Amino acid sequence: MLEFDCAVKRFDSLTALDRCTFAAQPGRLTGFLGPNGAGKTTAMRAVFGLLRLDAGEVRWRGSPVIGAERVRFGYMPEERGLYPRMRVREQLVYLGELCGRTSLEAGRVTDRWLERLGVAGRATARVDELSHGNQQRVQLVAALVNEPDLLVLDEPFAGLDPIAMAAMADLLEELARTGVTVLFSSHQLDLVEDLCEDVVIIDQGRVVLAGDLQDLRAATPQRVVDIRYRGPAPEWSDLPQVEVLVSTNGSTRLKVPRDTEIPALLAQLTGHREVTSFSYQPPTLSDLFTAAVGR
Amino acid sequence: MTALNQGWLVARREMRERARSRSFRVSTLLMLIVVVAAVVLPGLLDDGNTTRHVGVSGTTAPAFEQVLSGQTSDDTTIHLHTYDELAAGEEALRDERIDLLVVDGRLLEWRGRPDAELQALVTGALQVATVQQRAAASGLDPDTVARLLSPVRVESLQIGSMPGRSADDDSVAFVMSVVLLTAILIYGNLVLTGVVEEKSSRVVEVLLARVPAKALLGGKVVGIGLLGLGQLAVTALAALIASAAVDSVDLPAVTGSVLAWVLVWFVLGYALYAMVYGALGSLATRTEDAQAVAGPVGYVLIAGYWAAFMAIGEDPEGMWARVLSLFPATAPLAMPGRIALQATDWWEAPLAVLLTLAALAGLVAFAGRVYGNAVLRTGATLRLRDAWHSRQNEPREARTSLAQTMTSSFASPQATVIGTAALAAAGIVAAAVVFALTGDVIWSAVPALLAVAAVRRVRQHR
Repeated sequence: MLEFDCAVKRFDSLTALDRCTFAAQPGRLTGFLGPNGAGKTTAMRAVFGLLRLDAGEVRWRGSPVIGAERVRFGYMPEERGLYPRMRVREQLVYLGELCGRTSLEAGRVTDRWLERLGVAGRATARVDELSHGNQQRVQLVAALVNEPDLLVLDEPFAGLDPIAMAAMADLLEELARTGVTVLFSSHQLDLVEDLCEDVVIIDQGRVVLAGDLQDLRAATPQRVVDIRYRGPAPEWSDLPQVEVLVSTNGSTRLKVPRDTEIPALLAQLTGHREVTSFSYQPPTLSDLFTAAVGR
Repeated sequence: MTALNQGWLVARREMRERARSRSFRVSTLLMLIVVVAAVVLPGLLDDGNTTRHVGVSGTTAPAFEQVLSGQTSDDTTIHLHTYDELAAGEEALRDERIDLLVVDGRLLEWRGRPDAELQALVTGALQVATVQQRAAASGLDPDTVARLLSPVRVESLQIGSMPGRSADDDSVAFVMSVVLLTAILIYGNLVLTGVVEEKSSRVVEVLLARVPAKALLGGKVVGIGLLGLGQLAVTALAALIASAAVDSVDLPAVTGSVLAWVLVWFVLGYALYAMVYGALGSLATRTEDAQAVAGPVGYVLIAGYWAAFMAIGEDPEGMWARVLSLFPATAPLAMPGRIALQATDWWEAPLAVLLTLAALAGLVAFAGRVYGNAVLRTGATLRLRDAWHSRQNEPREARTSLAQTMTSSFASPQATVIGTAALAAAGIVAAAVVFALTGDVIWSAVPALLAVAAVRRVRQHR
């Protein structure tokens, strides 16, 4: 388990991390969300000792992270980077060796991932000869070549086409199933909602929401009701605490309290209307995010 | 996985990747060609057995040819060509078929500038032959004449700058200092560009997530240094083999201990300056910026070299030579020369090594800190002071405003005053040093002017 405990990082007048506290569990995907400049990259760099915290600590399996443990971590920085003129396989094996693997082990893992990601054919090419997409794949292998227990990815989905995105999502799920702790940042909330068991939302260096995504959604006092129907628009005013979010001809989205009685709601729709679809759900991650960040 | 192991992996990668690069192969090949050519070509051009062609026109003393061949040394052969017509002789001279035309035994005609050695030889032979002719004419016994006029062999010997020192010692000292300076500059700059390349390609963040900054910088410096040593060793070996095969140039008699000291000073000097280059390289994101940041290091090296050259040329046991060979920044440039000249007391070389090692330890800490602070901060070139003071690697989003804030907070009026005063003092000291070394007012003005320029530049920055 990776834990941030009251981590504080100040840059001169700006506080990038402000008593930042959260955890990422093994075997689960944790989405790390927040607007630009919220402190996501700073927090990730702190895991790898790329900057020193002013207060608080980052713990791995219960004890503060020390240098030697980081060879069991995998990291894909936001600024992708590899030696442009080094050959793909040699470079990956080198990065594996830096993590204490023998060249044989590192080579085996490298080959497996290159094969899996469909770039095995370019193993002897120089990195700068690869297409952008293939460079991204190689960059991912660079984070995986030491078979990490903790994987930290800064915007892994940025710049990927839909097919590559789906492949990346599959891969992260697969890694989590094998017990790896996966923490990644993203701005694609729909994707995170589909993929992640846990989310951490951070704003101005402070954690504003963190935990199991389904629990967080269930714990909100509101529910969202989506209704499609044929016929005249119904009147919602006689139900207490109903807020109309969107209302177009034939489709309505309502925000209602969690304890609203659904039959009463449905009763409003009877009459000269035919209900074609009805859903009653907790708010989406996007709703949670907007509410938590408060903008 | 210790940092030491990681450092060695980094060094190994540097060596492997660089040794494989085309630029490295080409430069090694060029060095080999130049060195082998420098050894072999003089031997081919000068077979040690010079042949001179002397033309004779008109009447000359009859014994001239015999006297001339009797006077020449073993490795010189002289061919005489006789021309009945002066014009034919001069044409041969113009066509460079002969080196010299003797006209009527009293005029030497040359194609260009007279060759002093040949001139002396021929003039001497003419004198002797003429005196022989006159002596015979006045009835002296030919045997007596021959005994009287038997040639005196005069040899030449180059002596060194000091008693007990050969000219070879001097040239060894000179060549070694040049080689050391060049090697430190070349391999130091490789460290500089290597650091900038890692920063500009952003691979450094991937690396630093696994390897401590000191291991990364240290491994790079060691790798490039070993590669440089290898390149130098191959070149030196080629020179030795070539000179053994051709047996032309007299290789100065370099003793093993002098060579060992050169090796020590290459390692120390390179390590010292490579650390500085590495730290400065981390400040820049683009190679062009790096050259601007690290330019002053090159000036310091060259200035140090010249100061050492002048001080040792003046007096290798003098005070300035001693000071320069003990001061860590100049010791690698000054001490090897003094050792080659055998101008050191027994304690001086070990003391200089200790001082340089101490400076190196300080520099490693300094460079490690600056490098660790600066290498993840991309964008505009950082200032050394900011990289030193900052505890921060700010995220990119906040870079500009933070950089501005920091600059303004460190550029306090006191810092300006202190910095300017330090620069001015350094200039005055340097001017005094140069004056003491050279006794020359004009040379002393150079550091003073440099200091003034630096002070002006600092003030403009504020």
